[in-house]
Amino acid sequence: MITLGIDTATDIFNLAIIENGKMIVDYRMQKAGMTHSAVIIPALKNLIDFTGLELNKLTGIAVSVGPGSFTGLRIGLATAKGLAFSLSIPIIGVNTLESYALDRKDLPGILCPMMKARKGEYYFTLYRKENHYNDLIRIEDYQCKSWLSIKEKLLKLDQPVYILGYGLMEAIGNLKSNHSLSHIHFLIKEQDPPGAVNIALMGEKRILSKQTDDIFELSPFYICKSAAEIKNETRIN
Amino acid sequence: MEGKNILGIETSCDETSVAIVRNGNQILSNIISSQMELHRKYGGVVPEIASRQHMKYILITCQAALKQAMVSLSDIDGIAVVNGPGLKGSLLVGLSFAKALALVMNKPLIGINHIEGHIFANFLNIQEIKTPFISLIVSGGHTSLILVKKIGQYQILGNTRDDAAGEVFDKIAKYLGLEYPGGPIIEKLALTGKKDAIHFPRPLTKTSNLDFSFSGLKTAVIYFVKKKKEIKESLQLEDICASFQQAVIDTLVHKTLSAAHRYNIHRIVIGGGVAANESLRKKLLEIGRKYHLSVYFPPKELCTDNAGMIAAAGYFKLINGMTDSFYLDVFTE
Repeated sequence: MITLGIDTATDIFNLAIIENGKMIVDYRMQKAGMTHSAVIIPALKNLIDFTGLELNKLTGIAVSVGPGSFTGLRIGLATAKGLAFSLSIPIIGVNTLESYALDRKDLPGILCPMMKARKGEYYFTLYRKENHYNDLIRIEDYQCKSWLSIKEKLLKLDQPVYILGYGLMEAIGNLKSNHSLSHIHFLIKEQDPPGAVNIALMGEKRILSKQTDDIFELSPFYICKSAAEIKNETRIN
Repeated sequence: MEGKNILGIETSCDETSVAIVRNGNQILSNIISSQMELHRKYGGVVPEIASRQHMKYILITCQAALKQAMVSLSDIDGIAVVNGPGLKGSLLVGLSFAKALALVMNKPLIGINHIEGHIFANFLNIQEIKTPFISLIVSGGHTSLILVKKIGQYQILGNTRDDAAGEVFDKIAKYLGLEYPGGPIIEKLALTGKKDAIHFPRPLTKTSNLDFSFSGLKTAVIYFVKKKKEIKESLQLEDICASFQQAVIDTLVHKTLSAAHRYNIHRIVIGGGVAANESLRKKLLEIGRKYHLSVYFPPKELCTDNAGMIAAAGYFKLINGMTDSFYLDVFTE
Protein backbone atom coordinates (compact mmCIF):
# COMPACT_ATOMS: atom_id res chain seq x y z
CA MET A 1 0.00 0.00 0.00
CA ILE A 2 1.12 3.54 -0.77
CA THR A 3 0.07 6.44 1.44
CA LEU A 4 0.50 10.18 0.88
CA GLY A 5 1.05 12.26 4.01
CA ILE A 6 0.23 15.98 4.00
CA ASP A 7 1.31 18.36 6.74
CA THR A 8 0.57 22.07 6.33
CA ALA A 9 -0.22 22.77 9.98
CA THR A 10 2.82 25.01 10.48
CA ASP A 11 4.91 27.28 8.27
CA ILE A 12 6.83 24.20 7.13
CA PHE A 13 5.27 22.69 4.05
CA ASN A 14 5.69 18.92 4.11
CA LEU A 15 4.59 16.08 1.83
CA ALA A 16 5.67 12.46 2.21
CA ILE A 17 4.93 9.20 0.45
CA ILE A 18 5.38 5.88 2.24
CA GLU A 19 5.02 2.36 0.95
CA ASN A 20 4.19 -0.39 3.45
CA GLY A 21 5.76 1.51 6.34
CA LYS A 22 8.87 2.59 4.43
CA MET A 23 9.55 6.19 3.45
CA ILE A 24 9.87 6.76 -0.30
CA VAL A 25 10.02 10.52 -0.24
CA ASP A 26 9.93 13.27 2.40
CA TYR A 27 9.73 16.75 0.90
CA ARG A 28 9.73 19.81 3.10
CA MET A 29 10.17 23.50 2.60
CA GLN A 30 10.14 26.47 4.95
CA LYS A 31 7.46 28.88 3.79
CA ALA A 32 9.17 31.46 1.64
CA GLY A 33 7.63 33.55 -1.11
CA MET A 34 4.80 31.28 -2.07
CA THR A 35 1.90 30.10 0.04
CA HIS A 36 1.31 26.44 0.85
CA SER A 37 -1.68 26.54 -1.49
CA ALA A 38 0.42 27.70 -4.45
CA VAL A 39 3.04 24.97 -4.05
CA ILE A 40 1.18 21.93 -2.74
CA ILE A 41 -0.12 20.57 -6.05
CA PRO A 42 2.96 21.46 -8.16
CA ALA A 43 5.10 19.78 -5.47
CA LEU A 44 2.93 16.68 -5.43
CA LYS A 45 3.05 16.50 -9.23
CA ASN A 46 6.85 16.68 -9.15
CA LEU A 47 7.15 14.03 -6.42
CA ILE A 48 4.96 11.69 -8.41
CA ASP A 49 7.12 12.28 -11.48
CA PHE A 50 10.43 11.87 -9.58
CA THR A 51 9.43 8.67 -7.86
CA GLY A 52 7.92 7.14 -10.98
CA LEU A 53 4.72 6.46 -9.06
CA GLU A 54 1.32 7.07 -10.52
CA LEU A 55 -1.34 8.99 -8.67
CA ASN A 56 -3.85 6.20 -9.07
CA LYS A 57 -1.47 3.83 -7.27
CA LEU A 58 -2.05 5.77 -4.04
CA THR A 59 -4.13 3.77 -1.56
CA GLY A 60 -4.75 6.43 1.08
CA ILE A 61 -4.37 10.11 1.95
CA ALA A 62 -3.33 11.02 5.50
CA VAL A 63 -3.46 14.67 6.55
CA SER A 64 -2.65 16.55 9.72
CA VAL A 65 -5.93 18.10 10.80
CA GLY A 66 -4.61 20.20 13.65
CA PRO A 67 -4.18 21.89 15.86
CA GLY A 68 -2.18 24.36 13.81
CA SER A 69 -2.49 27.38 11.56
CA PHE A 70 -6.19 27.66 10.64
CA THR A 71 -5.50 28.57 7.03
CA GLY A 72 -2.73 25.97 6.71
CA LEU A 73 -5.02 23.23 8.02
CA ARG A 74 -7.73 24.14 5.53
CA ILE A 75 -5.29 24.14 2.60
CA GLY A 76 -4.10 20.66 3.60
CA LEU A 77 -7.56 19.25 4.24
CA ALA A 78 -9.22 20.78 1.14
CA THR A 79 -6.40 19.34 -0.97
CA ALA A 80 -6.60 15.96 0.77
CA LYS A 81 -10.37 15.81 0.29
CA GLY A 82 -10.06 16.72 -3.39
CA LEU A 83 -7.46 13.99 -3.89
CA ALA A 84 -9.23 11.27 -1.89
CA PHE A 85 -12.61 12.09 -3.45
CA SER A 86 -11.40 12.03 -7.04
CA LEU A 87 -9.20 8.96 -6.50
CA SER A 88 -11.94 7.21 -4.46
CA ILE A 89 -9.48 6.20 -1.74
CA PRO A 90 -9.67 6.48 2.08
CA ILE A 91 -8.79 9.67 3.94
CA ILE A 92 -7.32 9.74 7.44
CA GLY A 93 -7.16 12.84 9.61
CA VAL A 94 -4.27 12.74 12.07
CA ASN A 95 -4.01 14.94 15.14
CA THR A 96 -0.83 17.02 14.85
CA LEU A 97 0.03 16.78 18.56
CA GLU A 98 -0.47 13.01 18.56
CA SER A 99 1.88 12.71 15.59
CA TYR A 100 4.53 14.61 17.58
CA ALA A 101 4.12 12.31 20.59
CA LEU A 102 4.26 9.10 18.57
CA ASP A 103 7.55 10.30 17.14
CA ARG A 104 9.22 9.82 20.55
CA LYS A 105 7.27 7.18 22.40
CA ASP A 106 10.60 5.51 23.21
CA LEU A 107 11.22 8.14 25.91
CA PRO A 108 10.55 7.45 29.61
CA GLY A 109 8.12 9.65 31.56
CA ILE A 110 5.45 11.97 30.29
CA LEU A 111 5.30 13.37 26.78
CA CYS A 112 4.11 16.91 26.21
CA PRO A 113 3.64 17.67 22.51
CA MET A 114 3.29 21.40 22.02
CA MET A 115 3.12 23.91 19.21
CA LYS A 116 2.95 27.64 18.96
CA ALA A 117 -0.54 29.08 18.55
CA ARG A 118 -1.45 32.75 18.42
CA LYS A 119 -1.11 35.59 20.94
CA GLY A 120 1.63 33.94 22.97
CA GLU A 121 -0.38 30.76 23.48
CA TYR A 122 0.50 27.14 22.75
CA TYR A 123 -1.48 24.08 21.76
CA PHE A 124 -0.56 21.17 24.01
CA THR A 125 -1.59 17.95 25.68
CA LEU A 126 0.04 15.28 27.86
CA TYR A 127 0.57 11.54 27.31
CA ARG A 128 1.58 8.84 29.75
CA LYS A 129 3.05 5.49 28.76
CA GLU A 130 0.99 2.42 29.48
CA ASN A 131 2.12 -1.25 29.41
CA HIS A 132 5.36 -2.59 27.92
CA TYR A 133 4.26 -1.78 24.37
CA ASN A 134 4.66 1.88 25.30
CA ASP A 135 1.10 2.63 24.21
CA LEU A 136 0.29 6.26 24.81
CA ILE A 137 -2.60 7.27 27.03
CA ARG A 138 -3.65 10.90 26.78
CA ILE A 139 -4.07 12.37 30.28
CA GLU A 140 -5.07 15.92 29.36
CA ASP A 141 -7.53 17.50 26.93
CA TYR A 142 -6.14 19.10 23.81
CA GLN A 143 -5.82 22.73 24.89
CA CYS A 144 -4.60 26.16 23.94
CA LYS A 145 -2.97 27.95 26.89
CA SER A 146 -0.29 30.48 27.78
CA TRP A 147 3.17 29.11 28.52
CA LEU A 148 2.75 30.32 32.09
CA SER A 149 -0.27 28.12 32.76
CA ILE A 150 1.26 25.14 30.92
CA LYS A 151 4.38 25.54 33.06
CA GLU A 152 2.28 25.50 36.24
CA LYS A 153 0.68 22.26 35.16
CA LEU A 154 4.03 20.66 34.34
CA LEU A 155 5.44 21.76 37.69
CA LYS A 156 2.94 19.54 39.51
CA LEU A 157 4.05 16.41 37.67
CA ASP A 158 6.33 14.05 39.57
CA GLN A 159 7.91 12.43 36.52
CA PRO A 160 10.30 13.69 33.86
CA VAL A 161 8.43 15.59 31.17
CA TYR A 162 9.57 15.70 27.56
CA ILE A 163 8.33 18.61 25.50
CA LEU A 164 8.20 17.89 21.79
CA GLY A 165 7.01 20.15 19.05
CA TYR A 166 7.51 23.17 16.92
CA GLY A 167 7.70 26.95 17.29
CA LEU A 168 8.84 26.79 20.90
CA MET A 169 11.97 28.96 20.99
CA GLU A 170 10.37 31.61 23.23
CA ALA A 171 9.15 29.02 25.70
CA ILE A 172 12.63 27.44 25.86
CA GLY A 173 14.21 30.81 26.52
CA ASN A 174 11.80 31.39 29.38
CA LEU A 175 12.39 27.95 30.89
CA LYS A 176 16.19 28.25 30.93
CA SER A 177 15.92 31.12 33.39
CA ASN A 178 13.84 29.01 35.76
CA HIS A 179 15.79 26.37 37.74
CA SER A 180 12.85 24.90 39.62
CA LEU A 181 11.75 23.12 36.45
CA SER A 182 14.73 20.76 36.11
CA HIS A 183 12.54 17.72 35.40
CA ILE A 184 11.28 19.36 32.19
CA HIS A 185 13.22 18.65 29.02
CA PHE A 186 12.83 20.18 25.61
CA LEU A 187 13.44 17.71 22.81
CA ILE A 188 12.54 19.88 19.90
CA LYS A 189 13.98 19.89 16.43
CA GLU A 190 13.08 23.34 15.18
CA GLN A 191 14.65 22.73 11.78
CA ASP A 192 13.32 19.23 11.47
CA PRO A 193 10.03 18.72 13.35
CA PRO A 194 8.09 15.49 12.93
CA GLY A 195 5.72 15.86 10.03
CA ALA A 196 4.24 14.21 6.98
CA VAL A 197 6.15 10.90 7.30
CA ASN A 198 4.67 10.33 10.76
CA ILE A 199 1.28 11.45 9.50
CA ALA A 200 1.47 8.95 6.64
CA LEU A 201 2.66 6.12 8.93
CA MET A 202 -0.22 6.72 11.30
CA GLY A 203 -2.56 6.88 8.32
CA GLU A 204 -1.33 3.54 7.05
CA LYS A 205 -1.93 1.92 10.46
CA ARG A 206 -5.45 3.28 10.54
CA ILE A 207 -6.19 2.00 7.04
CA LEU A 208 -4.99 -1.46 8.10
CA SER A 209 -7.18 -1.37 11.21
CA LYS A 210 -10.08 0.00 9.12
CA GLN A 211 -10.29 3.21 11.15
CA THR A 212 -10.41 5.67 8.30
CA ASP A 213 -12.48 8.88 8.41
CA ASP A 214 -15.73 9.90 6.76
CA ILE A 215 -14.55 12.17 3.96
CA PHE A 216 -17.61 14.43 4.25
CA GLU A 217 -17.44 14.80 8.03
CA LEU A 218 -13.68 15.19 8.49
CA SER A 219 -12.93 18.75 9.70
CA PRO A 220 -9.93 20.68 10.94
CA PHE A 221 -9.34 20.36 14.68
CA TYR A 222 -9.20 24.06 15.48
CA ILE A 223 -9.41 23.83 19.32
CA CYS A 224 -9.95 27.63 19.45
CA LYS A 225 -13.12 29.34 18.33
CA SER A 226 -12.78 32.26 15.97
CA ALA A 227 -12.21 35.66 17.59
CA ALA A 228 -15.64 36.91 16.41
CA GLU A 229 -17.47 33.96 17.99
CA ILE A 230 -15.71 34.48 21.31
CA LYS A 231 -16.50 38.20 21.22
CA ASN A 232 -20.14 37.52 20.37
CA GLU A 233 -20.53 35.00 23.21
CA THR A 234 -18.98 37.40 25.71
CA ARG A 235 -21.40 40.06 24.56
CA ILE A 236 -24.41 37.77 25.02
CA ASN A 237 -23.25 36.64 28.48
CA MET B 1 -21.69 12.95 -24.04
CA GLU B 2 -22.07 16.03 -26.27
CA GLY B 3 -20.20 19.20 -25.53
CA LYS B 4 -17.82 20.37 -22.84
CA ASN B 5 -18.72 20.16 -19.16
CA ILE B 6 -17.06 22.64 -16.82
CA LEU B 7 -17.11 22.23 -13.06
CA GLY B 8 -17.17 25.67 -11.41
CA ILE B 9 -16.23 26.45 -7.81
CA GLU B 10 -17.01 29.69 -5.97
CA THR B 11 -15.87 30.32 -2.37
CA SER B 12 -14.83 33.96 -2.45
CA CYS B 13 -17.19 35.30 0.20
CA ASP B 14 -20.16 33.78 2.04
CA GLU B 15 -21.57 31.29 -0.47
CA THR B 16 -20.07 27.85 -1.04
CA SER B 17 -21.13 26.98 -4.56
CA VAL B 18 -20.32 24.26 -7.08
CA ALA B 19 -21.90 24.04 -10.54
CA ILE B 20 -21.69 21.98 -13.70
CA VAL B 21 -22.29 23.94 -16.91
CA ARG B 22 -22.27 22.49 -20.42
CA ASN B 23 -20.94 24.53 -23.33
CA GLY B 24 -20.88 27.72 -21.30
CA ASN B 25 -24.63 28.23 -21.22
CA GLN B 26 -26.46 25.10 -20.17
CA ILE B 27 -26.71 24.79 -16.38
CA LEU B 28 -26.75 21.12 -15.39
CA SER B 29 -26.52 22.01 -11.71
CA ASN B 30 -25.75 25.08 -9.62
CA ILE B 31 -25.68 24.26 -5.92
CA ILE B 32 -25.35 27.15 -3.49
CA SER B 33 -24.82 26.71 0.22
CA SER B 34 -25.38 30.14 1.73
CA GLN B 35 -23.94 31.24 5.06
CA MET B 36 -25.98 34.43 5.23
CA GLU B 37 -27.95 33.38 8.33
CA LEU B 38 -24.75 32.59 10.18
CA HIS B 39 -23.25 36.03 9.55
CA ARG B 40 -26.48 37.93 10.20
CA LYS B 41 -25.92 38.25 13.95
CA TYR B 42 -22.53 39.88 13.27
CA GLY B 43 -24.09 42.36 10.80
CA GLY B 44 -21.66 41.30 8.08
CA VAL B 45 -19.38 38.52 6.89
CA VAL B 46 -16.81 37.32 9.45
CA PRO B 47 -13.79 35.98 7.50
CA GLU B 48 -12.73 33.15 9.83
CA ILE B 49 -16.30 31.89 10.22
CA ALA B 50 -16.75 32.03 6.43
CA SER B 51 -13.58 29.98 5.84
CA ARG B 52 -14.69 27.34 8.32
CA GLN B 53 -18.07 27.04 6.62
CA HIS B 54 -16.50 26.66 3.17
CA MET B 55 -14.29 23.86 4.52
CA LYS B 56 -17.34 22.15 6.00
CA TYR B 57 -19.47 22.34 2.85
CA ILE B 58 -17.12 22.25 -0.15
CA LEU B 59 -17.15 18.49 -0.72
CA ILE B 60 -20.83 17.89 -0.01
CA THR B 61 -21.70 20.78 -2.35
CA CYS B 62 -19.47 19.31 -5.04
CA GLN B 63 -21.02 15.88 -4.67
CA ALA B 64 -24.53 17.36 -4.84
CA ALA B 65 -23.62 19.28 -8.03
CA LEU B 66 -22.32 16.12 -9.74
CA LYS B 67 -25.34 14.13 -8.63
CA GLN B 68 -27.89 16.71 -9.79
CA ALA B 69 -26.09 17.11 -13.13
CA MET B 70 -26.03 13.31 -13.44
CA VAL B 71 -22.38 13.33 -14.45
CA SER B 72 -19.28 11.84 -12.87
CA LEU B 73 -15.90 13.52 -12.48
CA SER B 74 -14.65 11.71 -15.56
CA ASP B 75 -17.26 13.60 -17.64
CA ILE B 76 -15.70 16.96 -16.64
CA ASP B 77 -13.52 18.77 -19.19
CA GLY B 78 -12.15 21.54 -17.00
CA ILE B 79 -12.17 22.94 -13.46
CA ALA B 80 -12.94 26.66 -13.15
CA VAL B 81 -12.34 28.29 -9.77
CA VAL B 82 -12.48 31.82 -8.38
CA ASN B 83 -9.01 32.85 -7.18
CA GLY B 84 -9.88 36.46 -6.30
CA PRO B 85 -10.81 39.06 -5.35
CA GLY B 86 -12.35 37.93 -2.10
CA LEU B 87 -11.56 36.72 1.41
CA LYS B 88 -8.17 34.99 1.39
CA GLY B 89 -9.00 32.11 3.72
CA SER B 90 -12.24 31.41 1.87
CA LEU B 91 -10.67 31.54 -1.59
CA LEU B 92 -7.95 29.11 -0.46
CA VAL B 93 -10.47 26.39 0.37
CA GLY B 94 -11.98 26.45 -3.13
CA LEU B 95 -8.66 26.79 -4.92
CA SER B 96 -6.92 23.97 -2.98
CA PHE B 97 -9.85 21.64 -3.61
CA ALA B 98 -10.06 22.61 -7.31
CA LYS B 99 -6.36 22.00 -7.91
CA ALA B 100 -6.53 18.53 -6.38
CA LEU B 101 -9.45 17.61 -8.68
CA ALA B 102 -7.69 19.02 -11.74
CA LEU B 103 -4.48 17.12 -10.95
CA VAL B 104 -6.16 13.76 -10.43
CA MET B 105 -8.55 14.09 -13.38
CA ASN B 106 -5.74 15.49 -15.54
CA LYS B 107 -7.98 18.37 -16.69
CA PRO B 108 -7.21 22.05 -17.22
CA LEU B 109 -7.43 24.45 -14.28
CA ILE B 110 -9.00 27.81 -15.11
CA GLY B 111 -8.68 30.66 -12.60
CA ILE B 112 -11.59 33.09 -12.73
CA ASN B 113 -11.73 36.63 -11.41
CA HIS B 114 -14.89 36.93 -9.34
CA ILE B 115 -15.96 40.11 -11.19
CA GLU B 116 -15.31 38.38 -14.51
CA GLY B 117 -17.63 35.61 -13.27
CA HIS B 118 -20.47 38.09 -12.75
CA ILE B 119 -20.16 39.20 -16.39
CA PHE B 120 -20.54 35.61 -17.60
CA ALA B 121 -23.71 35.07 -15.55
CA ASN B 122 -25.25 36.77 -18.60
CA PHE B 123 -24.08 33.98 -20.90
CA LEU B 124 -26.06 31.33 -19.03
CA ASN B 125 -29.24 30.15 -20.71
CA ILE B 126 -28.85 32.53 -23.69
CA GLN B 127 -26.74 32.81 -26.79
CA GLU B 128 -23.26 34.22 -26.52
CA ILE B 129 -23.14 38.02 -26.24
CA LYS B 130 -20.93 39.56 -28.90
CA THR B 131 -17.89 41.55 -27.83
CA PRO B 132 -17.07 44.36 -27.37
CA PHE B 133 -19.44 45.41 -24.61
CA ILE B 134 -19.51 47.59 -21.51
CA SER B 135 -20.11 45.75 -18.27
CA LEU B 136 -21.36 47.24 -15.02
CA ILE B 137 -20.77 44.94 -12.04
CA VAL B 138 -22.51 46.09 -8.86
CA SER B 139 -22.58 44.13 -5.62
CA GLY B 140 -21.84 44.36 -1.93
CA GLY B 141 -18.14 44.17 -2.66
CA HIS B 142 -17.71 45.76 -6.08
CA THR B 143 -18.81 48.63 -8.28
CA SER B 144 -16.89 48.45 -11.54
CA LEU B 145 -17.28 49.56 -15.13
CA ILE B 146 -15.40 47.30 -17.49
CA LEU B 147 -14.80 47.41 -21.22
CA VAL B 148 -14.83 43.81 -22.43
CA LYS B 149 -12.87 43.92 -25.69
CA LYS B 150 -12.76 40.16 -26.18
CA ILE B 151 -13.31 37.14 -23.96
CA GLY B 152 -10.60 37.40 -21.32
CA GLN B 153 -9.50 40.87 -22.43
CA TYR B 154 -10.74 43.53 -20.07
CA GLN B 155 -10.12 47.22 -19.46
CA ILE B 156 -11.27 48.61 -16.14
CA LEU B 157 -12.89 51.99 -16.87
CA GLY B 158 -13.95 52.87 -13.37
CA ASN B 159 -14.19 51.55 -9.82
CA THR B 160 -15.65 52.79 -6.61
CA ARG B 161 -13.27 54.95 -4.63
CA ASP B 162 -14.86 54.01 -1.31
CA ASP B 163 -17.99 51.95 -0.57
CA ALA B 164 -19.47 49.57 -3.12
CA ALA B 165 -23.08 50.29 -4.13
CA GLY B 166 -24.44 47.19 -2.39
CA GLU B 167 -22.41 48.02 0.69
CA VAL B 168 -24.15 51.41 0.96
CA PHE B 169 -27.54 49.69 0.77
CA ASP B 170 -26.41 47.48 3.71
CA LYS B 171 -25.06 50.39 5.72
CA ILE B 172 -28.12 52.59 5.22
CA ALA B 173 -30.38 49.67 6.12
CA LYS B 174 -28.37 49.08 9.28
CA TYR B 175 -28.59 52.79 10.18
CA LEU B 176 -32.35 52.78 9.62
CA GLY B 177 -32.65 49.70 11.84
CA LEU B 178 -33.58 47.43 8.93
CA GLU B 179 -32.39 43.90 8.30
CA TYR B 180 -29.17 42.59 6.75
CA PRO B 181 -28.69 42.38 3.80
CA GLY B 182 -30.10 45.82 3.06
CA GLY B 183 -30.68 45.66 -0.69
CA PRO B 184 -33.91 43.64 -0.88
CA ILE B 185 -35.52 45.37 2.12
CA ILE B 186 -34.77 48.90 0.88
CA GLU B 187 -36.06 47.94 -2.55
CA LYS B 188 -39.28 46.67 -1.00
CA LEU B 189 -39.88 49.80 1.08
CA ALA B 190 -38.99 52.01 -1.89
CA LEU B 191 -41.90 50.53 -3.85
CA THR B 192 -44.41 52.59 -1.86
CA GLY B 193 -42.20 55.67 -1.42
CA LYS B 194 -41.73 58.78 -3.54
CA LYS B 195 -38.40 58.69 -5.32
CA ASP B 196 -38.28 62.49 -5.70
CA ALA B 197 -39.30 63.24 -2.11
CA ILE B 198 -35.75 64.10 -1.04
CA HIS B 199 -32.94 65.11 -3.32
CA PHE B 200 -29.84 63.18 -2.33
CA PRO B 201 -26.53 63.81 -4.18
CA ARG B 202 -25.53 61.85 -7.30
CA PRO B 203 -21.80 61.58 -6.52
CA LEU B 204 -19.18 62.21 -9.25
CA THR B 205 -21.80 62.58 -11.99
CA LYS B 206 -20.45 66.01 -12.88
CA THR B 207 -16.90 64.78 -13.48
CA SER B 208 -15.70 63.20 -16.69
CA ASN B 209 -14.01 60.17 -15.11
CA LEU B 210 -15.88 56.90 -14.73
CA ASP B 211 -15.15 56.24 -11.07
CA PHE B 212 -17.85 55.92 -8.44
CA SER B 213 -18.04 57.18 -4.87
CA PHE B 214 -20.90 56.37 -2.54
CA SER B 215 -19.70 57.33 0.93
CA GLY B 216 -20.82 60.96 0.43
CA LEU B 217 -24.32 59.78 -0.45
CA LYS B 218 -24.32 57.56 2.61
CA THR B 219 -23.36 60.51 4.81
CA ALA B 220 -26.06 62.68 3.21
CA VAL B 221 -28.77 60.12 3.99
CA ILE B 222 -27.58 59.65 7.56
CA TYR B 223 -27.34 63.44 8.08
CA PHE B 224 -30.85 63.91 6.71
CA VAL B 225 -32.32 61.31 9.07
CA LYS B 226 -30.41 62.72 12.05
CA LYS B 227 -31.65 66.23 11.36
CA LYS B 228 -35.24 65.08 11.02
CA LYS B 229 -34.98 63.29 14.33
CA GLU B 230 -33.50 66.35 16.04
CA ILE B 231 -36.41 68.56 15.04
CA LYS B 232 -38.72 65.66 15.87
CA GLU B 233 -40.22 65.69 12.44
CA SER B 234 -41.78 62.43 11.34
CA LEU B 235 -39.84 60.27 8.92
CA GLN B 236 -41.31 58.67 5.85
CA LEU B 237 -39.09 55.58 5.73
CA GLU B 238 -40.48 54.61 2.34
CA ASP B 239 -39.64 58.04 0.89
CA ILE B 240 -36.10 57.92 2.25
CA CYS B 241 -35.58 54.44 0.77
CA ALA B 242 -37.06 55.41 -2.60
CA SER B 243 -35.07 58.65 -2.83
CA PHE B 244 -31.83 57.01 -1.74
CA GLN B 245 -32.29 54.09 -4.16
CA GLN B 246 -32.99 56.52 -6.99
CA ALA B 247 -29.77 58.44 -6.25
CA VAL B 248 -27.77 55.19 -6.52
CA ILE B 249 -29.57 54.13 -9.72
CA ASP B 250 -29.17 57.52 -11.39
CA THR B 251 -25.46 57.50 -10.61
CA LEU B 252 -24.95 53.96 -11.95
CA VAL B 253 -26.97 54.64 -15.10
CA HIS B 254 -25.27 57.98 -15.77
CA LYS B 255 -21.78 56.48 -15.57
CA THR B 256 -22.68 53.42 -17.65
CA LEU B 257 -24.18 55.60 -20.34
CA SER B 258 -21.10 57.87 -20.33
CA ALA B 259 -18.88 54.82 -20.79
CA ALA B 260 -20.98 53.52 -23.70
CA HIS B 261 -20.87 56.91 -25.44
CA ARG B 262 -17.18 57.47 -24.85
CA TYR B 263 -16.13 54.08 -26.25
CA ASN B 264 -18.91 53.99 -28.84
CA ILE B 265 -20.27 50.67 -27.59
CA HIS B 266 -23.86 49.55 -28.08
CA ARG B 267 -24.07 46.61 -25.73
CA ILE B 268 -24.41 46.92 -21.94
CA VAL B 269 -24.05 43.88 -19.70
CA ILE B 270 -25.00 44.11 -16.01
CA GLY B 271 -24.13 41.76 -13.18
CA GLY B 272 -23.68 41.39 -9.41
CA GLY B 273 -26.17 41.31 -6.54
CA VAL B 274 -27.45 44.88 -7.09
CA ALA B 275 -28.32 43.94 -10.70
CA ALA B 276 -31.28 42.07 -9.20
CA ASN B 277 -32.80 45.45 -8.25
CA GLU B 278 -35.97 45.81 -10.32
CA SER B 279 -35.86 49.62 -10.52
CA LEU B 280 -32.29 49.54 -11.79
CA ARG B 281 -33.23 46.98 -14.44
CA LYS B 282 -36.25 49.04 -15.55
CA LYS B 283 -34.26 52.27 -15.73
CA LEU B 284 -31.48 50.66 -17.78
CA LEU B 285 -33.95 49.11 -20.23
CA GLU B 286 -35.62 52.50 -20.60
CA ILE B 287 -32.27 54.16 -21.32
CA GLY B 288 -31.42 51.32 -23.70
CA ARG B 289 -34.54 51.96 -25.75
CA LYS B 290 -33.88 55.71 -25.78
CA TYR B 291 -30.26 55.44 -26.93
CA HIS B 292 -30.52 52.24 -29.01
CA LEU B 293 -28.39 50.11 -26.72
CA SER B 294 -28.84 46.39 -26.10
CA VAL B 295 -29.05 45.84 -22.35
CA TYR B 296 -28.45 42.39 -20.81
CA PHE B 297 -29.15 41.15 -17.28
CA PRO B 298 -28.75 37.71 -15.79
CA PRO B 299 -31.90 36.15 -14.32
CA LYS B 300 -32.25 37.46 -10.75
CA GLU B 301 -31.17 34.20 -9.12
CA LEU B 302 -27.89 34.35 -11.05
CA CYS B 303 -27.08 37.91 -9.94
CA THR B 304 -25.83 36.83 -6.52
CA ASP B 305 -22.66 34.77 -6.12
CA ASN B 306 -22.94 31.33 -7.71
CA ALA B 307 -20.61 28.84 -9.33
CA GLY B 308 -22.68 28.60 -12.53
CA MET B 309 -21.32 31.92 -13.71
CA ILE B 310 -17.78 30.77 -12.83
CA ALA B 311 -18.20 27.61 -14.90
CA ALA B 312 -19.58 29.69 -17.80
CA ALA B 313 -16.56 32.00 -17.65
CA GLY B 314 -14.34 28.91 -17.44
CA TYR B 315 -15.82 27.45 -20.60
CA PHE B 316 -15.25 30.60 -22.66
CA LYS B 317 -11.70 31.00 -21.36
CA LEU B 318 -10.94 27.32 -21.99
CA ILE B 319 -12.06 27.40 -25.62
CA ASN B 320 -9.95 30.54 -26.05
CA GLY B 321 -6.92 28.71 -24.66
CA MET B 322 -6.77 30.62 -21.38
CA THR B 323 -5.90 28.07 -18.71
CA ASP B 324 -3.68 28.33 -15.63
CA SER B 325 -0.79 26.42 -14.15
CA PHE B 326 -0.99 24.57 -10.83
CA TYR B 327 0.99 27.44 -9.28
CA LEU B 328 -2.14 29.61 -9.42
CA ASP B 329 -2.55 31.53 -6.16
CA VAL B 330 -5.29 33.65 -4.61
CA PHE B 331 -5.45 37.45 -4.54
CA THR B 332 -7.59 39.58 -2.26
CA GLU B 333 -8.17 42.78 -4.22
